[in-house]
Amino acid sequence: MSAISTDALGKRYGSTWALRDCTLEIPAGSVTALVGPNGAGKTTLLKLAVGLTRPSFGAVEVLGLAPREDERELMPKVGFVAQDHPLHMGFTVAETLKLGQRLNPSWNDDIARTRIEHLRLPLDRKVGKLSGGQQAQVALTLALAKQPEVLLLDEPVASLDPLARREFLNSVLEAVAEHAMTVVLSSHIVTDLERVCDHLVILSESRAQLVGSIDEIVASHRLLTGPLADASDVARVHDVIRASHTKRQTSLLVRANGHVYDAKWELHEVDLEDIVLAYLGYGVAEYELEEVVR
Amino acid sequence: MIWLGWRQQRTETMIAAALLVLVALILVPSGIEMAHQYTRDGLSHCLGFTPSQACDEAVGSLEQRFNKFIDLIGWFNLVPGLFGVALAAPFALELERGTHRLAWTQSITRRRWVVTKLGLAVSSTVLAAAVLIGILIWWRAPLVRLDGRMDTGAFDSQGTVILGYSLFALGLALAVGAVWRRAIPAVMVAFVGYFVARIFTDTWLRQRLVTPHKLTWAAGRDDPRALWHAWKISETIVSINSHSGLPPMAECIRKGATNVKQCLAVNGGHLQAVFEPASNFWPLQLVETAMFGGVAIALIAFAGWWTLHRE
Repeated sequence: MSAISTDALGKRYGSTWALRDCTLEIPAGSVTALVGPNGAGKTTLLKLAVGLTRPSFGAVEVLGLAPREDERELMPKVGFVAQDHPLHMGFTVAETLKLGQRLNPSWNDDIARTRIEHLRLPLDRKVGKLSGGQQAQVALTLALAKQPEVLLLDEPVASLDPLARREFLNSVLEAVAEHAMTVVLSSHIVTDLERVCDHLVILSESRAQLVGSIDEIVASHRLLTGPLADASDVARVHDVIRASHTKRQTSLLVRANGHVYDAKWELHEVDLEDIVLAYLGYGVAEYELEEVVR
Repeated sequence: MIWLGWRQQRTETMIAAALLVLVALILVPSGIEMAHQYTRDGLSHCLGFTPSQACDEAVGSLEQRFNKFIDLIGWFNLVPGLFGVALAAPFALELERGTHRLAWTQSITRRRWVVTKLGLAVSSTVLAAAVLIGILIWWRAPLVRLDGRMDTGAFDSQGTVILGYSLFALGLALAVGAVWRRAIPAVMVAFVGYFVARIFTDTWLRQRLVTPHKLTWAAGRDDPRALWHAWKISETIVSINSHSGLPPMAECIRKGATNVKQCLAVNGGHLQAVFEPASNFWPLQLVETAMFGGVAIALIAFAGWWTLHRE
């Protein structure tokens, strides 16, 4: 069963497409990384899923419900932390928790208090006086204490320093371990998410480029290197994601359909980051290639 | 949600309350004095249409003493506008900061959020306006008994119009804030709009809301009874029997006149007044309140609709 499914989903602002023809399924219980460069449509996709904006085309369903039309039924089941995690800066931490309690029938105050205590945040401190990392943690607490079935986090760690980033992602991991839920995290940096996620969606140029489980993705992608050659033979059987040529050699990043067996090519495993970069059109960095070849 | 709404407009509610306290501090002591002087000088005997010499003096003394407060009341015309824009500010501020999205991603519906926020703003504005009306009506009571409440300065601070004015300022600030999503500019634009609408109403629109009466009388006679406590919109000279226009003053004075009115009387002139009689007070109040209130409701509904459908 899929927690989120979209069908030819599109969002247009004036003449600009923020998201285009996006069809994907995010399985229930997965922790999915939504990866793409800035402006690829990550925020738009998450906003559509949580009903903060309405689709221009197509449809999105979360837990089988339409976010806008079934708002009343769906919203108690979805937790959302927006990119800039907007909170009321003049509220104290305690007041922010009270907000969560007042606005969510499914609020679990124990979860909230325990987390805040664990984070050593003073309840009477104004939210505006907390650090960025602490604010992000308060926003996450608000989303978690609601006990959602689906948790959507938009660029949750983008504005955080490495330590706060690690702590935040650990919090997410702990929460996933304790309570069964589907999590979608968006980011433009894949390295952060690899540790946390088991599924991947790559968005680029307003479209979904790759959707699948990370294990499968890593298992199916290979880097082929060999003497300068035409890639058309390979492309007949496998999907060539990225081809690059130097004077002496050709390297291909392919999504293999079955085994790659061709004596002409040397096979290398690739890590997730390289795969993502290839899909985003950056290619595999030249120095890394040399390293691989050597 | 109501708790959240109150928490968010706490500062603005305090500002409105502080304004009311300020108004009360200025008006309560002088109001007590005025009521006291009214009783002491026996002014209740001076309410008739044909006053005596003693009454004229006593009334004059009262008016002179409290004149500076009567002038000050003019400035209180700004207060309903301040109530409105101040209590609209939390809504615009929330949209500006994007914190409405925090509320919208909790479990309540967006519609309920909008209705609660706007409902709280409206009810606190109505409450603040009601208290202001109470203070102003109480303070002016002696003057109203003596001079009526049809003159612009009195009319604006009596009855229900203040309610309409406050809601109008609120609605305007909410609508501008919903579209613009900047609290400070929205508040300032709305306040200027409020000011312009009030001036326009006072100087041009009000006399056209309920058809004024017209009356002509011989210049030598006392003012007609219908003009008692009325709002005199204009008074003009009509039908001078000998020739058109006013005779030269010099000729008049030779005939023994000491002022223009006598001059007119000597020449058989007539005066014509266009006026709203005292009996038109409530029709005018209600029409004006409904007008401002109606526009306010439309603006508030628009602010809510726009907020719900924009994203």
